[in-house]
Amino acid sequence: MKSIVQMILVLSLICGTAGFCLSYLKMTTASRIESQALTFVQGPAILEVFRDADNSPINDRRTFPLADGRTINVFPSMKKGKLVGVALEQFGSGYGGDLGVVVGFNVANDTLAGIGITTMKETAGVGTRVKEHAFLKQFPGHALPVKLRNDGGDIDAVSGATVSSKGVMGAVDSAVAVYKELKPLLLETWK
Amino acid sequence: MNRFMQELTKGLWKELPPFRLLLGLCPVLAVTKSASSGIGMGMAVLFVLTLSNMLISMVRNIIPSKVRIACFITISATLVVAVELLMQAYAYPLYLQLGIFVPLIVVNCIILGRAEAFAAKNPVHLAIADGLGMGLGFTMSLTFLGSIREILGAGTWFGHPVMWDGFQPFTIMVEAPGAFLCLGLTLAAMNYGTHRQIMKKSREGSEELPASPCGGCRACAMGRNKD
Repeated sequence: MKSIVQMILVLSLICGTAGFCLSYLKMTTASRIESQALTFVQGPAILEVFRDADNSPINDRRTFPLADGRTINVFPSMKKGKLVGVALEQFGSGYGGDLGVVVGFNVANDTLAGIGITTMKETAGVGTRVKEHAFLKQFPGHALPVKLRNDGGDIDAVSGATVSSKGVMGAVDSAVAVYKELKPLLLETWK
Repeated sequence: MNRFMQELTKGLWKELPPFRLLLGLCPVLAVTKSASSGIGMGMAVLFVLTLSNMLISMVRNIIPSKVRIACFITISATLVVAVELLMQAYAYPLYLQLGIFVPLIVVNCIILGRAEAFAAKNPVHLAIADGLGMGLGFTMSLTFLGSIREILGAGTWFGHPVMWDGFQPFTIMVEAPGAFLCLGLTLAAMNYGTHRQIMKKSREGSEELPASPCGGCRACAMGRNKD
């Protein structure tokens, strides 16, 4: 009997201490991990979209609530203290899983400022070509709505990688929807 | 102090974890695509191993033997999660490179093996020495394998080009089969070297027993008798 009590006691004590230490560590590192992830995952794509921003879009990010209860990070791009563009990340379903796309918008005329791929698990050499300039260069300056040529638009899909291209377009579509929903709020926030 | 040094240095050559004890081969094969990821993984294991040895040795007298494995696993899992969080916070590119293999350190048999075989039976300072030695040995081995694979497979070392112009990298070396090739050849070379050494010694008339096929580590009874 005594040994059972001892076993329970020791094991609970060790697990409790472990849990306490880890939750403390998690709390203290959470904000740093978030900014690190943004810098190394979304960062390159955002900087690609807003090449000539005066501010740091990542440091100036804000979180906004959406109508369906989710929240989303929006990255602003300023020039001489005025908001010129916003970028946000959305996911589409690619060939190998979720495909993350940062979509930038010019707020002045509601056109695309450009897009950048953040995360993907597409087939190397085929689907990964959506990350190439030849495909991405079609987006900057493009007016809404954006559609693939198959669907009546004028964006050329990457040949052989229709699923990946559609995944990118899916992400762009949902980014456009979010942008339209948030636009008044965004203009209010950054004047 | 003598004993301390002995425990520290045994992991560096005599009981070099991946090449002598053949422990912890999963990360050895999987993450040694480049020297820098090898060294990163090695450091993570070094950290976890030293701290888990220390903690386990500290609590070894209050842990009932029936639940010792559960306790060991809890301690090492906690340390691994701590390493994962710290790596995310301070070395994010390394974390992206190592990926799933960081959380997998917890099932690395070196950690549990050293806890069970050494830390649970020895005082704290020796357990720390053992963890440090084994961890350093592991880091060395991973860096070594990573260097070979990176130099042959990509023509670079820690990201700097080292081969001559026009060198065509053997892409197979940075893919999975390259890991097996490299490990196999390294083991063969090490066993050949040890074998020759023992043969030489016995020819000189020392009282060594005949060479055992495994090169005489202390991991099995055969090797231990020889010491």
